[in-house]
Amino acid sequence: MASSQKENEIIQSLADIAADPSAYASAWKQRTGGKVVGIMPMNFPGELVHAAGALPVVVQEDRATITLGRSLIYEFYCGYTRSLVDQSATGKFEGYDAFLIVDHCVALLGAIDAMRFEIPDTPIYLAQFTASMDEPWSPPQVRGRIDELRARLEELCGRKIADGDIATSIAAFNRNRGLLRRIYDLRRSGVAPITSRQMQALVKSAMVMDIDEHSARLEELVPLLEARTAEASRLPKLHLSGNFCHAPHPELLDMIESCGVVVVDDDLYTGYRYIATDVPADGDPAEALTRWYFNRNTNVPCSTRAQKSADWEGYLAKAVEKSGASGIIILIAKFCEPHMLYYPELRKELRRREIPHLVIETEHEGLPLEMLKTRVEALVEHIKRPVRSAEAV
Amino acid sequence: MSINLEQAKSGQQPLPGQTAKTPAPANRLMSTRTGSKLVRDYWDNLFTARERGATVVWYNGAAINPILQAAGVEYCHGEAFGARLAAMHLEGPAQQAGESYGYINELCSYARTTIGCALLTQKGAADNVEMDEHPDIPPKEIMASRLPAPDFFVNAYAGCSTGQQWDEISYRLFNKKLPFFKISYPLLWGNKPDAGYIRGEEWETASRYVADQIYKLIEFLEFQTGRKFDWDALRESMFYIKKAAELRLEALDLCAARPTPAVFWDWIASIAPINFLPGTPALVDYFAEMKAEIEQRLKDNVSALPNERYRLMFDGIMNWNKVGWLANKFAEHDAAVICGRYTHTSFWNEPHFIDPEDPILGMAKHYLLCPFNHSAKNLGEVMLRDCEKFGLDGIVFHATRTCRSASNGQMVVAQMAQKKGLQTMFFEGDVADESFYKDEVLQSRLEAMLETIDVQRARIA
Repeated sequence: MASSQKENEIIQSLADIAADPSAYASAWKQRTGGKVVGIMPMNFPGELVHAAGALPVVVQEDRATITLGRSLIYEFYCGYTRSLVDQSATGKFEGYDAFLIVDHCVALLGAIDAMRFEIPDTPIYLAQFTASMDEPWSPPQVRGRIDELRARLEELCGRKIADGDIATSIAAFNRNRGLLRRIYDLRRSGVAPITSRQMQALVKSAMVMDIDEHSARLEELVPLLEARTAEASRLPKLHLSGNFCHAPHPELLDMIESCGVVVVDDDLYTGYRYIATDVPADGDPAEALTRWYFNRNTNVPCSTRAQKSADWEGYLAKAVEKSGASGIIILIAKFCEPHMLYYPELRKELRRREIPHLVIETEHEGLPLEMLKTRVEALVEHIKRPVRSAEAV
Repeated sequence: MSINLEQAKSGQQPLPGQTAKTPAPANRLMSTRTGSKLVRDYWDNLFTARERGATVVWYNGAAINPILQAAGVEYCHGEAFGARLAAMHLEGPAQQAGESYGYINELCSYARTTIGCALLTQKGAADNVEMDEHPDIPPKEIMASRLPAPDFFVNAYAGCSTGQQWDEISYRLFNKKLPFFKISYPLLWGNKPDAGYIRGEEWETASRYVADQIYKLIEFLEFQTGRKFDWDALRESMFYIKKAAELRLEALDLCAARPTPAVFWDWIASIAPINFLPGTPALVDYFAEMKAEIEQRLKDNVSALPNERYRLMFDGIMNWNKVGWLANKFAEHDAAVICGRYTHTSFWNEPHFIDPEDPILGMAKHYLLCPFNHSAKNLGEVMLRDCEKFGLDGIVFHATRTCRSASNGQMVVAQMAQKKGLQTMFFEGDVADESFYKDEVLQSRLEAMLETIDVQRARIA
């Protein structure tokens, strides 16, 4: 079998799982008899659930039109939160044994609270991680929440979680993140021109699959990609940024790439942000998970966290420099407050550095792709101009 | 024509450019004018802080003002100033400044307004804009830009993640040069079976966690001011605040009478005093005056509405651009809005927790009791309790477009209320952005709900 065909087969198999996480979870449950635990974005340490012998599934947006969920949450909440509530109201969460959340996001908490009323027999546990990262008393607080989660998972799964179990899970997740980062490196270098749709499938499947099974497939894929000899594309390179909590619709990514550009990097949640930071492998494993929470915001800053010293705009500028991208498309999920609030800071810095950028608001209900295509094409033309100005398109 | 600004903002007099209307049907309390003057004097004084060489802190969220007062600094509560601008219809320039800076209008309008003020403050707009001609209304852009720039920030936002993030932006707008202290609050979520409104292990643990942070805040203030914290001043302030809060609650309870002597809109007009005015005898006097006026009304059989036929609760944060408008809208339909989550379950609403001699833990408990820091289960418990206490027919939910914090749980609580036989309705609006208010939607839905209450009564009869 040709290596490209093998690559495609692996990626497609992961894409199929990413497209229907519930089917995978049901099959896993049947096969193992374990519990399926829905974990909410964006900072939940899946390692803890894995250490309890359960399957951690980062709960995904469902593409179905919001129906019953409309009577539980307003239309001015982001598509992800509305979809969560709708999925609970339409019986799509029946396969989950519990839901766990650590993130303090006002919309997400509102949605999860509504879910509690819709599916009262399914445990939904909030272990709120302090969102302000600067204070010396924040890490002990987060550590306390991790200990609570550990106890809750022990109760749910009926087994003790030993430090060694957590350490094993940390190693498994670090391995997986490392493999995905290797693919990102190959993509940035131009050796492996993975499309954004494919990249999303690789990360999204990591969010919902048994981590060792996922890594095994990546172990097959990475050597195939490394063996490629493709020349780097001469098309303008772009960086995709933003879209917290859930994946942008693949057709949007296809449209962007149809405009004569190549996407070489991203900091999407269902992308590099998710896999950028490893859990420290040394010391007490619960303490390591605590450090990971703080490290990942320093590594790839996120405006959902409050940290004086973390600058997303600075990170973006460095990322662009590293990948050679000549422009950025910022994807803001409609009604995402932390992103709306921070966008002017991004804009200010991108203008200062004369990095062309375009903002696209993404929506659950779909997007006017042809209209957006015109805007992306304008950005591309702008990038191609010999003398650039810093104006956003 | 000369108009009084307070009357204008309460809807009793038209603003310039508006046509005169028929006399307002809502019989609003006269004593709230005293509160309006106290608040106006407070802001006017704050506007001169720089000239007086005072240290100024910008803060958001909980009522930490007694601590700031005892630290000897002057303070601006961000949401309060945003609300004031909106209530005076002066929010436009600040919001436009925010929009020009890049904010999408679906973002919290409090944040947009206050950040817009920061932008205008920095721009030095006061020197560059034309003066508005009307003598009673401050020039629009000037009013938004009169806030003295801060010396440092304190964020103390319970419940709302945006509230915390917004000060991160304010910090950046001032070039990351100013000191910045943050208090974090756990949401009163209720993981454990013993959890509920002001009870359970989570409540006690969260209270101690917040209290510990307040002590850290005091250390921060001592460092910033170079002065020892004045604990006696804090005790004195909390003594007066506790007294004022008790009087306010007693006055609120008097409105269980039928017909009610005062309505939700009177309490809305009194939020600023209880939220951020200094704890002084003047604050106690104000709420004593309000209570006395209500008692006098009860004695004289004077009601808030000429013909009270319906008794309702208002849920959600206030639509500050529309206070007078809404007061009259409901009054025109003989609908007395008796109470609300915003007015009745916040602002030192459990004064028994305050020990003036040792106030920190009780203050922490109140900060956690922000009405937007509860699970829907807690909200339902508290709101349905008030519906029963005040003998209400239904709940009006203000679906606040840019405030997810105030909107969380509303649809769930509505279902809980419906199970108790209460009628519910929703209308769309916003805390400080008038463009989201849809009058016809409110009108038709209110009429429909009141008709349903009539039908319900007829069936029972």
